[in-house]
Amino acid sequence: MALFLAYDPSSNPLNTNEWAFPVCEVLHILGFAIGIGTITMVNIRLLGLGLKRESPADLWRGTFPWTLAGLALVLITGPLIFSSDPNMYLRNEGFRFKITMLVLALIYHYTIYRKVALTKTSGGAAVMAGLISLLLWISVVFGGIFIAFL
Amino acid sequence: MPPEFVQALQDMSIATAIRESALVFPVILSLHLTGMGLFGGMILMTDLRLLGISLTKHPVSDIVNGLRPWKHLGLTLTATCGILLLWSKAAIYYPNPYLWIKLTLFALIIIHALVFRSVYRNVADLDRNPVIPGRAKLAAALSIILWISVVTAGRWIGYWEPKGAPVNAAQVIN
Repeated sequence: MALFLAYDPSSNPLNTNEWAFPVCEVLHILGFAIGIGTITMVNIRLLGLGLKRESPADLWRGTFPWTLAGLALVLITGPLIFSSDPNMYLRNEGFRFKITMLVLALIYHYTIYRKVALTKTSGGAAVMAGLISLLLWISVVFGGIFIAFL
Repeated sequence: MPPEFVQALQDMSIATAIRESALVFPVILSLHLTGMGLFGGMILMTDLRLLGISLTKHPVSDIVNGLRPWKHLGLTLTATCGILLLWSKAAIYYPNPYLWIKLTLFALIIIHALVFRSVYRNVADLDRNPVIPGRAKLAAALSIILWISVVTAGRWIGYWEPKGAPVNAAQVIN
């Protein structure tokens, strides 16, 4: 944290160029739409609500590179946006909540959730895995929006 | 200046309640973004499938038909929240050119849906076709461009300020 206290973001291109910040935000939105959207496809299947012609494992494998690409775009543009005013973000409760949920969501996604998606086609474990995933990712989005309101 | 009816719309009690609540406005905005997050990406995945770029091991019809109800649900959620947000600040948003660009893009999306209806409704034909026809690819490419433009215009609404008059930044940015 001390690293950021001495940082003066006023010369950051995100603050000097009129377009840089909103372009990063648009790419951030596109990134999470692709990342979370593809995860939601697997969730719909795990919850038994649709896409029943595919197995969760097939959907996981088919969407995998796109989930990764979407999350990569988010994880590139996110730190850029953060760099525009690090001290504000670090103090912001919305941001802290968002990052906490994001770390949990990412760890969960590539460990427990991955295992369930690749092995379970239905049942309580699949439903539970899908619900937890939905809750975590929705929390990340809410946290992100609340940064601007807290 | 916005016409009187736009101001009257904004002054209605529900609109005022949404606008002035510290919680309701950001919650609706979060749901607006959640709709995009959960379901907007499915539009892109459908179009990328038609372009032969993504999910190529899955039949076109499984993806297009399987995702259709979810995209409809997402659009309903996102649009409902968007209309509530717009209503709550109708007079503030009215002069914003990016709002009108966004609404124009929606008109183009409706036209796109009508023009290319046959592409999306007859996807079973595409399963039997080893090569996806140019018309379907054109529909998919245009869809991607239109939806990315909608998101871009939407975000730009928050950055426009009316010339001259001092503005309450918080009102505009959010």
